Amino acid sequence: MSTVEQTLIVAPTEPSDAGITANAAAPGTTSAPAQPVAKAASPARAALRQFLRSPSGVAGAIMLLLLILVAILGPILWPTDPLEIVGLPFAPPDPDALLGTDYLGRDVLAGLIHGGRATMTVGAVAAFITIIIGVSVGALSGFFGGWIDSLLVKISEFFQVLPPLLFAMVLVTLFGPKLTTITIAIGAVSWTPAARLTRAEFMRLRDLDFIKASRAAGAGNWHLIMRVVLPNALPPIIVSATLAIGVAILFEGGLSFLGLGDPNTMSWGLMIGQNRNYVLDAWWAVTFPGAAIFLAVLAVSLVGDGINDAVNPRLRRR
Amino acid sequence: MMLSKRSFLTGALGGMAMIGMPFETRAQSAGGRGGTLVVGSSQVPRHFNGAVQSGIATAMPSTQIFASPLRFDENWKPQPYLAKSWEVAPDGLSVTLKLVDDAVFHDGKPVTSDDVAFSVMIIKENHPFKTMLAAVDKVETPDPKTAVIKLAHPHPALLLAMSPALMPILPRHVYGDGQDIKTHPANLKPIGSGPYKFVEYKQGDYYTLEKFEKFFIPGRPKLDKIVVRLIADPNALLVSTERGEIHAAPFITGVRDIERLEKVQDLVVTEKGFAGIGALNWLAFNTKKKPLDDVRVRQAIAYAANRDFIVKKLMGGKAPPSTGPIAPGSPLYEARVEQYKFDIEKSKKLLDEAGLKPNADGVRATMTIDYIPGGDEQQRNVAEYMRSALKRVGLNLEVRAAPDFPTWAQRVSNYDFDMTMDTVYNWGDPVIGVDRTYLSSNIRKGIIWSNTQQYSNPKVDDILAKAAVETAPEKRKALYSEFQKIVVEDVPIFFINATPYYNAFAKGLSGLPTTIWGVASPLDELYWATAPKT
Repeated sequence: MSTVEQTLIVAPTEPSDAGITANAAAPGTTSAPAQPVAKAASPARAALRQFLRSPSGVAGAIMLLLLILVAILGPILWPTDPLEIVGLPFAPPDPDALLGTDYLGRDVLAGLIHGGRATMTVGAVAAFITIIIGVSVGALSGFFGGWIDSLLVKISEFFQVLPPLLFAMVLVTLFGPKLTTITIAIGAVSWTPAARLTRAEFMRLRDLDFIKASRAAGAGNWHLIMRVVLPNALPPIIVSATLAIGVAILFEGGLSFLGLGDPNTMSWGLMIGQNRNYVLDAWWAVTFPGAAIFLAVLAVSLVGDGINDAVNPRLRRR
Repeated sequence: MMLSKRSFLTGALGGMAMIGMPFETRAQSAGGRGGTLVVGSSQVPRHFNGAVQSGIATAMPSTQIFASPLRFDENWKPQPYLAKSWEVAPDGLSVTLKLVDDAVFHDGKPVTSDDVAFSVMIIKENHPFKTMLAAVDKVETPDPKTAVIKLAHPHPALLLAMSPALMPILPRHVYGDGQDIKTHPANLKPIGSGPYKFVEYKQGDYYTLEKFEKFFIPGRPKLDKIVVRLIADPNALLVSTERGEIHAAPFITGVRDIERLEKVQDLVVTEKGFAGIGALNWLAFNTKKKPLDDVRVRQAIAYAANRDFIVKKLMGGKAPPSTGPIAPGSPLYEARVEQYKFDIEKSKKLLDEAGLKPNADGVRATMTIDYIPGGDEQQRNVAEYMRSALKRVGLNLEVRAAPDFPTWAQRVSNYDFDMTMDTVYNWGDPVIGVDRTYLSSNIRKGIIWSNTQQYSNPKVDDILAKAAVETAPEKRKALYSEFQKIVVEDVPIFFINATPYYNAFAKGLSGLPTTIWGVASPLDELYWATAPKT
């Protein structure tokens, strides 16, 4: 966890004007004195320290780690095929099937373990897509302004006014309910907040003195975007990425609930979607995956809040 | 594509909007005779003209609005309706109908043999069931109340084809104005001679029928008004039925739904009334596609699937098992066919013989299975069961979910499938609803519910051709027995179960439709014995 944060948060220092970049690593505090380059890594350490000081963030991180561990190791420890019919339908939880069976007689525990892998992968990959699209659009639009900005803003407004769940449903309906389509659909409909956030950060940063200095030193646009502005805009983007994972998991659940899940891959959403008609006969087949989604989204949100507190310079100064 | 997406979305949202919406007609229901019947259905009719449109969505209103020459009782016996008598010529080449004297259409014009002749020819040319009236040459009308149907060859299925759901008598003066009958404006504002006349249709929302005062059977219909509420969401439909907002809920197939309604005190739930429709739920194979072109592979799949488990466990014992192409409720049903009793070893042996050896991972072949979207219990669940069941014999199945019905229909009718779950209706006589699935002449690309299996067996073609014209009932039954045995042996289709179509009625109702056609026949005898609870 910590290494991830460090690599992400540490601003890749600008060799030509290191002192200025280090200063900019604490944006929003323009009056802060320039710091020597040797301490360039300290904001990340400070952020980590700050993060560890927030009990809810740590609790979220532990929960998330546990869920990831179960997703990775679970299928080895509990090899039952989640799609295999192992007993009678609607068998309540008992020693044979610890969490009961669903409407076909499939093991709910196996579904929970194997499904977690699919659900969390969808969440992570979809969030990744969200961030890639969102940051690219937002960065270009915020950095260049002018007609590029108005064009990209128009495009993202077009996506913004479409109700995301309905739009995702249409995409999945068109291209078929496969896990990859679902993931891409989620990514494609939920990138606008990230784009707006990135654009605002870029617009704020692009006119600051150290950027002007870099430009004066001969840095090209590409260099400025990737190496100077983006690293300084990263902290809020990381927070938004973390929260995007939670949103994507909920999306997957929502799509499956509406019958648009991939029937060949067990996921938490699919379990709820397929079993919801039988909730009166088998509460366990819906309740456990529901609780799993709840925990995963809660964990991701807590971690996101923790990171937010940690990287927010105003809070850090306290 | 655009249309299907839209209807999918409105279906999902429309259902939600209906919950808890008070319906104005509810309060108007009166006790004793007469009164209003509120029917709830998920079946949205395209229009109301059963002469050019098959399916229960249209059949239910069409049989109220239009009368037909005959109707049938619970025991498959024809009863007089528009025809007070009927006579089949000894050579089987003509059927003479004598019409009742005082039948009039809803616009007041009398029903004549001319209307019968017009309707028969319209149905012959336009109804999707091509074989139903294919034998009809012409209809002679010696006088206004006598119609003689002339046949090219004997056609014993003709009597059943004169049922309300299949032969609505249309007024020639309305539908014979030269406009295309399939898109005729009167299909949405129908005029017939049945017990109820059409009042209004709010597309996808509800339609209303009203008692026809001059109906030709005295004292009928007994109800004043029928309101059919179209509720797309099955759960909303159930809740409305439980709350008594709906007095009749036909076509309930879900086991849990049936059980749930059976627990409601004020409801009578019956499985009677669908013998004629004879809906079968089955697994169809693409018999031209490798490796399913090998009969041993298809038999192996049949042995690997446990019909008993599906029917008793997955469907909770509410669905009768079906073993062959003719529905268990039919008088022509043959029970002595190969049963494909669950046998994993036999299945593996057959696959070995067919040359499908397991690879290092134990996989012999990988195939896809489709299902009709929407019907979870009968379709999706069984498809998912098959994936699990066939894995045990080394066949990997990928379940292909179709987002909507047209997508599924397009795949299957263009032979872009390995195997698919399907539901097909018998429609009473094999000539009407069974032959189409097995005749090699009915392998018609692009047409759903034709012989999409591409099954072709000259012997079956021959038997079906003979049985279609055989007038001696015993000989006919024997021919169909042989047909059933051969088809089950060839497994173009693995027969799983008859779809349980249950009807739920409010307790105060009397004269329930329990004939072979159920609610797809006139509801003229239905009435409120005691006032409905509101």
